[in-house]
Parts: sequence; structure tokens; C-alpha cells
Amino acid sequence: MYQRILAAVNEFTNSEAAARYAIALARSCGASLSLVYVAGEKVDREAFGRAEKALERLFVEAGGQDVDVSSFTERGDPFEKIRDIVRKSRIDIVFAATRKEDVEKRFFLRTLGRKFMVSLPCAVSIVRVVRMGRIGPRNILVPIRGHMSRIEERAYFVSKLAEVFGSKVTLFHLIEPITRYFHGEVSLSPSQREERVPKDMARFAQCLHIYKIHHEEKTRYGKSAREITIEAAHRRNDLIVMGASERSILRSFISGNPVETVLRETPCDLIILRPKRS
Amino acid sequence: MKIQNLSAEDVYQALLTSAQGLSEAEAKRRLEEYGPNRIQEVKKKPFILRLVAHFTHFLAVLLWFAASLCFLSEYLNPGEGMRTLGFAITAVICINALFTFLQEYRTEKALETLRKLLPFTVRVLREGKEREIRAEEVVPGDVLFLSEGDKIPADARLIESADVKVNNAPLTGESEPVSRNHMPFDGDLIESTNIVFAGTTVISGSGKAVAFATGMTTEFGRIAHLTSAVESGLSPLQKEIVRTTRIIAAVAGVVGVFFFSLGFVIGRHFWDNFVFAIGITVALIPEGMLPTMTLALAMGSQRMAKRKALIKTLTSVETLGAVTVICTDKTGTLTQNVMSVRALWFDGALVNATGVSRSSAHHIFRIAGLCNNARFVDGTYRGDSTDVALLEFSRKVIGEVDVERIKEIPFDSERKRMTTVHRAKAPSFPQGETIVAYSKGALESILPLCDRIEIGRNRLPLTASVKERIAAASESLMDRGLRVLAFAYRDIECLSDDASIETDMIFIGLIGLEDPPRPEVHEAVRKCKQAGIRVIMITGDSSRTALAIAREIGLLEGRPVIVEGPAFERMNDRELRSKLAEREVLFARMTPKHKMRVVSLLQEEGEIVAVTGDGVNDAPALKKADIGIAMGIKGTDVAKEASDIVLLDDNFATIVTAIEEGRAVFENIKKFLTYIFASNIPEAVPYLAYIVLKIPLPLTIIQILAVDLGTDMLPALALGAESPTPDVMERPPRKMSERLLNMRLMARSYLFLGPIEAIAGMFGFFYVLYGGGWIWGSYVPAHDALYLQATTACLAAIVITQIGNMFACRSEHESVFRRGVFSNPLIFVAIFVALFLQLFIVYHPLGNKIFGTAPLDLDVWLVLAPFGVLLLLAEELRKALTRRFR
Repeated sequence: MYQRILAAVNEFTNSEAAARYAIALARSCGASLSLVYVAGEKVDREAFGRAEKALERLFVEAGGQDVDVSSFTERGDPFEKIRDIVRKSRIDIVFAATRKEDVEKRFFLRTLGRKFMVSLPCAVSIVRVVRMGRIGPRNILVPIRGHMSRIEERAYFVSKLAEVFGSKVTLFHLIEPITRYFHGEVSLSPSQREERVPKDMARFAQCLHIYKIHHEEKTRYGKSAREITIEAAHRRNDLIVMGASERSILRSFISGNPVETVLRETPCDLIILRPKRS
Repeated sequence: MKIQNLSAEDVYQALLTSAQGLSEAEAKRRLEEYGPNRIQEVKKKPFILRLVAHFTHFLAVLLWFAASLCFLSEYLNPGEGMRTLGFAITAVICINALFTFLQEYRTEKALETLRKLLPFTVRVLREGKEREIRAEEVVPGDVLFLSEGDKIPADARLIESADVKVNNAPLTGESEPVSRNHMPFDGDLIESTNIVFAGTTVISGSGKAVAFATGMTTEFGRIAHLTSAVESGLSPLQKEIVRTTRIIAAVAGVVGVFFFSLGFVIGRHFWDNFVFAIGITVALIPEGMLPTMTLALAMGSQRMAKRKALIKTLTSVETLGAVTVICTDKTGTLTQNVMSVRALWFDGALVNATGVSRSSAHHIFRIAGLCNNARFVDGTYRGDSTDVALLEFSRKVIGEVDVERIKEIPFDSERKRMTTVHRAKAPSFPQGETIVAYSKGALESILPLCDRIEIGRNRLPLTASVKERIAAASESLMDRGLRVLAFAYRDIECLSDDASIETDMIFIGLIGLEDPPRPEVHEAVRKCKQAGIRVIMITGDSSRTALAIAREIGLLEGRPVIVEGPAFERMNDRELRSKLAEREVLFARMTPKHKMRVVSLLQEEGEIVAVTGDGVNDAPALKKADIGIAMGIKGTDVAKEASDIVLLDDNFATIVTAIEEGRAVFENIKKFLTYIFASNIPEAVPYLAYIVLKIPLPLTIIQILAVDLGTDMLPALALGAESPTPDVMERPPRKMSERLLNMRLMARSYLFLGPIEAIAGMFGFFYVLYGGGWIWGSYVPAHDALYLQATTACLAAIVITQIGNMFACRSEHESVFRRGVFSNPLIFVAIFVALFLQLFIVYHPLGNKIFGTAPLDLDVWLVLAPFGVLLLLAEELRKALTRRFR
């Protein structure tokens, strides 16, 4: 599914840490890896040097893991350049680290991460590295919501990461409580709760099963995206892999954006995956 | 790439740093990138929005609408007193909002206390130079200097170490120091011997470490995240209040709109119609309910404080009464946390501690006294309770032994043993001048180190059959509820590394220590069972010891399901749910981190859970539970701040006492709701009579408020202070489907008590009107003295019948005369105050002015007084009938 992977690298350490996930995925998929640094017009010499060194280190690391790796540096607008490379080289998935602006700006408006998510034709995974010394997740938390698109690709992505790191996978679904005006919250029996688990959970599990990935299914009662970070903190998950938000700006403004909440408060590394556009 | 199993060089490489540390510029960039090394609260709804929400719910919006109409009416039609009414309704909204907010509001101090566990400044290596910086400026990749007494600022990997011991209590709850070194470790990060964690302290030694996680991404930050993010949600009472106010708002709104429309249809004047609609709405809203409830909860918390349960959130008072499961620690809560040696196994035989003579010079007493960190100073023993018990026993049997200690391999929760190395001074030592290693610890930790056993003076091989005998002896001690420690020793020719010290040891014996149950716990557990409350013990002790104690205190009787920590971690939620569904379940060898999962699963099954805790890492579970109970004596500040209740005596029995009080609070809330709702009928009937019978309005809106927010308040509070009924702990916990405002309560208030009061009110009104020469159908001006007196008589009748109602509401079925008329002195204080207030309203010019009243003659009082008695007698008759037919 992923034969050509691109990792966008810059002068910041978290991009280097994020690229290590790309190396791991490339190794797991037997894919080729392109490490790319696009220096913006205003980048100073020192930052340029740091990014180049990062490329070097990553190149050596990927090579050391028998990954078919190439690295190159470009000058120009990072988004434009990477979009061109994706088109020309028919890249299957792009890895990029979150920047400070992704975490700070509401709904990632006008951020590079959002531009990648919205405009690149290939799959995109935005990585937020919060523990730079702890890459190699022991257990991965995968929040599952109803009506997910491209489940097979998502499951493949998770499986390949789990395979290369030897991680356990937990599929996690939040069951929203039912409330009635005069009755308040209606408590559901375990069987009623089971009924409210989306079928996508079973489909995702089936896919993992195909890749022989050991997994656990968990449901929690709650409606806030914060439950995801609580679960991750409580169960000491090392990585969360969640789908990119499909909410519009307006809907995000009215009813909030779970991805944004998790991105801000994640207690462990986070990968936001937007599968390839169909 | 796992930080714990890398070499020092690889650690530098992985974290993009070097042995010279980071450069200042790089550190600054990383600070931008990863943020400050700080414990931060998760983003929550701002204080002001939470406050505003109490002014904008449905009931409040309804009242705002009414108040606005009043002000509009005053503007369009001045001089009708609508402005005063508008202000009064606004005041009602504010009072209710503030009192509800007061119930909910709680300052979050748990994170503040967590922050105090981090250092203020740290020493780091930057650009090859040692620098002191603020702990907030530490970034991943910083090389930290660690020495004795330092608080550790971030999660870090040791790269150099010299006898480093750290206290991991904030993370693990284990107070014993653990050794740390810089060697690569092939295992989980959390168990790594080369990792030091933020929030912990260096007890001894020194070293260098590279920070790999800072701020909220550290293990300590994980606890902070859980403590800050976890919310237990609305308490059962808060849910009931929301439900009740929604029902009331809907009923009042619908009735108001219906009668306004009806008046419009039958062609009443707009302003008369408007006054009526507002009046009936205000009459149906029990304005005093929320303030009374808040004050009743505050009084309940005062009573609990006197019984050594300090309440931190008001609604917890009632939540306690709804508790269905208590998850409790064992040591110190169910037991006294006073250890003493009870039995021993040595020389192949079990002996009771009382049977050990002073002359016995067996090695086991020497090891117990020397492999021990307790001290006997100024006539008192100091140290860990287990060590104190062993030292005390050892001194009692063999007296003081003066032997030099030259090394210690400290206890830690993973190794479950400690070893000390001594140089003996002849002749106090049997072997003469020599070096000896002494070990004590869990049997499963000590036995594998031994290859021989000493029985009498003989050293015999440790065969499988001997091991079986030792295991059997250990089990028999544990079955007596004793905590069992194994002891071993060896002679050492030359000191080498720790691992070789703890080999080829000679097994000496076992000592069983008892931590006796608190004397009052047995009765408390019995009460819980009678009250349908499950008690689940969650302990770090072995299952046999825990089971024996549980049986001794009557907690477990049959064949309980026992879940031990390692199995617990392997179980998925479904399996664990099925274990929790068993009638009797016991959790042994658990750590505090497991508690939150137990609490969550129980809550998902609809249980109302109380959980006890004392450590920093108990904080998330304390926050998650419906009632978090912290220990006042041995609890950490973080646990106390995260809890809803602090037990001032750490005693399980106090929880049960508090539950008893909590149940009484729910009963009492129902009592005063019956009382408050009853007065809504005599307040509403005058409006119906006004529109249906076309008579002057018998009770003004401001007079309704005088009852709801004035004369009714203290009597309602007095009902809130009723003592628990004798059978309060003989009933199962109330079902969550049981409504505060149920049909029975409403029928009693609205269809029985209320109508009697309404008759009294209307009688008083007509008595004065007819006495003044009024003729049916004639007009009486609003400021006419006769009209003012008539409305005052209606008001007085309500107040008088409410006094009778107060006695009536003291119980639902039991006769007030059996309960004891004088058993609640507050009732009489309330009557006195209500009457005093009524006299002020009736006779004081200011009262007359505010409430539109006029002084009444004595005959009016005398005519009205029997209605109070009548109501009480009618209620006694109802109670007698219900008792008979129940």
C-alpha cells in the first residue's frame, strides 16, 4: 500500500524524531524513503546547517536499517515544493512533524500541517512528538469513531507500525451517553453499550487480524475527546494514532474539534493520519 | 529505540545532545519547541462561563423573562409595584444561581501541591559548563547533575552514577529508597533501573542524567494530567437538582402560559392577566429550595466534620448516602498500621512470639535487629512500622547488638528484599571477627538466593522437600493474617558486587507480623453489609494475608474471587467486569495505579463508588471516584486535595458513619421538599380563585416571596437537620432511578398538605373581608386597609399551617409523637424565627411597606391557629393509615 514514503525534515528536533516513524514504516512496508528538507526563503545559515545535519543523521539511520533511502534539500515554499515532489514521485504517504503553530492555532487554520492535510493527494501523517527519547511505542491507542473512511488503509498503517515496533494495539471507542431533558443521563446496560459500538470497530479489528496484530478492544462511556487523552495517560500508551478531523471549520467552532483537543493535550506521541484521497 | 536499553553514547545521539550538554541556543530552541518543564492544568471551561451557566438555564431564562416583563410593565403602567417585583425576581435568580454555583464550585489545588514536588532550580551542563537554571527551563537533551537531596526535575536517563538511591514514593507509593545505576536495562521504561523520574528525590549518591521528557509528558505529568483531566461528573444530587428544576420550570412555564392564554380568551384586562400569569409562575417555583438545600448540605458537612470526616465538596454529603461500593485500602484503614511479631518458624518448627524466651540466641533475632533501618532513640522506636516491630522484638529477645554496618543493598518493591553487610566485633558475634551479609524480604525473593538451611547448629541442603516445608509454614502464617518475612545470611570473605553478595545464602527462618484490624471495623463492615454496600479490599499485601484479615473482620465469608496485581494487568475489561460482578472479590498485590481502572469499571456498571487513597499516585482514582476519600493522617497533600472527603482518623468506620449521615441527608432533603412544595398550593390557589371567582387577589406576589424566601427558610433548614431514622442503615442504597421529586412526594404535598393550607389561607382572607363588610362581587381598591388586612390574613394562615406542616414533615410514616416532639431543638428555634419574621411583616411599618400588609387583630390569629393543629392531626391520621396498610 505504501511503496514510496516522504518525510519532511526541518531544523527542529521534533521533525527528526517524527521522521524516525517514517523510517520505521518504510522498513516495515519495504518502501523507499525520501528525506526532504525544503528551506524557506528566510531560513538562516545556522538553521539550514542544522536541518542538513538532521538529514545526514536520518539518512545514516535509515540506511543502517536497510531502508532504500534518498535525501535531498530544496529551496522555496515548503508546501509547494513538497506537493510537486509528491506528484512527480508518486509518493504514497507524507510524514511531517507538527509545528508550534499547529498546536497553538485554532483548528490549525493557515498552518502547514493543515495545508498538507487539505491539499496533498497522498496520505498524510502529521506527527506530534512529545517524548523525543521514547520512540518505539510499546502500546498504540487507536480511537475509532463511526463512519470512518478507508478503514483498510488506516488498519494497514497501524499494523505496519505495530509490527515494526512489536507494539500492542488498543482499539478505543467512546460511547456517548444518552440524555433526555427531564430524565437526564440514561444509564445503559452493558449489552446496550455493546449495541452502540460502531461496526467500523469490528472491521478495523478484522483488518488487524489479517496482519496478525494482537489487539484489544475497549469502550468507554463519555463524550469528550479528553477521554482519549485520559485513556492514553491511564494505560500508559506510547502512541495515539487517530484519524484527521473531517469536521468543517464551522462545525468545529460550534461543537469543538476532538483532534484539536487531543493534539493539544496528548500525554504521548500522536500521529494524525489522513488516508489517501479516494 | 528505547532510551533505557541504550548505551550512554547512544542516549546522547538519540536525544541529539552530547557529553558537553546542549548549547544555550539549542536549549532555547527546544524550550520553544517542547514548552516549559511545568505541570499545567488541562484547559477547562472558564470560571466565568461556569458561573454564567447558572444564570442561563431554562428556569433562570423563564425568570429573566418574567422580570423583564415586570420592568416593562412598570415602564408602560407605572405605580403598580411591578418594579419591586422585577427586582425581587432578579434577586431570586441571583440567589439560586449563586447557591447552586457554591455547591458545585471547588478550587483545584491538587495540581498546586503536585507542582511543589518539582524543584525550583537545577544544575545542568550546558556548553560543557555547569550552570544553575530554573527547573522550568529544562529541556529534552539537557544533562542534569544529581546529588543527595535533589528533587528531580524531568524524566531522565542516568549516564553516570555513584550509589544513587531515589525515593519514588510520588510515583509508586513505595517509601523505601530504590537503587539506580547507569547500565542499559532491557525491560519496561517504568521499571528501568537507569531511569529517574520527575517529582522524585535523590536520597543518596550522585550522578548525571539526560532529560528525555519534560513537563506534562513525564510520568509525573501523566499523574498530573489524570488528576486535572479526570472529572467524576455531576453527583447524584446535582443530577436530581437539574431534573427537579427542569420539571418545575416546565410546569410553572406551561401553567403560566396556559392561564395567561385562558385569561386572554375570556377577555380579562391585559395587566390583570399579566399579574396573574407572573403570580402563578412565581407561586409554583419554590424559590427557597436551592438556598435551603445548600445550607442543609453545609450543616450536614459540619455534622460529619464532628465525626471526623472533613467534607470538601458540599454535594459529597449526599453522594455518600448513595454509595454502593467502597474500594478500601487495608493497611491503616481497616487495620491499625501497628505491626508486631506474632509467630516465627525456625529450626523447622512454628513458635508463637510469646513462646520465645529471652535466652534464645538464634540467628533470626540478630538478622531481624541488624538488617533493619528502624532506630531506638530516646526511648522510642522510629522508622517503618515493619522494621520497628522487628527491632523491638529483637531487642526484647537478645538485647542491643552493637555491630558495624558496612554496606546496605536497600529494599525496593521490585526486588522485595534488603540486605545489609556487617563487620562483627568479637565476642558479641558468634563467628568472631568476620563479615556477614544479612537478608530479609518476601519468601519468593529470599528463597532463590539460598542453597542451605540452618536447623539447630546444622547447615543442611535446601532440598525440594525442605522448600515445600518452608512454603507450607509460610502459608500457615499467612492464613493467620500475618505478613511473612523470610531471613537468610552468609559469611563473606571479600566484598564484591551486590549480586554476588546475595548468593549462596543460608536460609534461617520466617517471621510473621501482625497488623491487627481496628476494633471498630468489624461492626462497620457488618453495617455496610446490612446497608447493601459492597466493600472491596484493594491491598498490596499477599492474597493469603489479605484474605485472613478480610475473614477476621467479616468482610469475606464464602470463597471469594481473588485477583492479584500481575493477573489484573493481563485481564481485559470484559474479564475484569466478570470478576467484579462476583459477590465477594479481593484485590491483592495491587498498586495505587490499578485503582482507577477498578473505579472506572464499577462506575460503568452503574455503581456509586467511594475509594480510599493516600499517595500522590492515588490522586487520579480519588478524582475519578464518585467519592474520593483521602487519609488525613498518613495521606499526602496531593491526595487530600484531589479527594472529596478527608478522614481525620484514617479509619474505615468513619466512612460508614459518614455514609449514615449522607443517607439521612437525602431523607431530610425529601422532608423539606415536601414542606416547601406544600406551601406552593396555598400560594397558587389564590391566583386561581382570583381569575375563576373574580375576587380581589388574596395573596400578592411579594407575599409569596416572603413565605418562600423568608418564613419557610429556617423551618426547612431545621428539617434538614433531622437525625437519621433508626433503620437508615438497614436499607439498601437508594436506587439511582429513585427520584428526589417523585409522585408520592408531590401527591402528599400538592394533594394533601397543600390543599389544607389553601383552605386555611382562603378562609383567613374571606374571614377578614367579610368581617370588614365586604360583599361578594364588590370592588376593593389595592391600597384599601381592609384588602391589605385580608391578604395579610391569607399570608398568616399559610405561615401558621406551615408550622403544623413542619412537624408533619419530620417523618413520612412514623408518628411525630413517637419520634419525639422535642428531639430536634432546631424546630423550635425555626418556629420562633418564623413567627418573629411574620410579626415583623404584620406589625412593623417597614414590613407593612415592603410586603403590602396591615396589622391583624387578635381574633384573626385565634381563628387561624386551629388550622395548624388540624393539618398536623390530619397528617397523623394519614400516617396511621399508611402504616396500617403498608
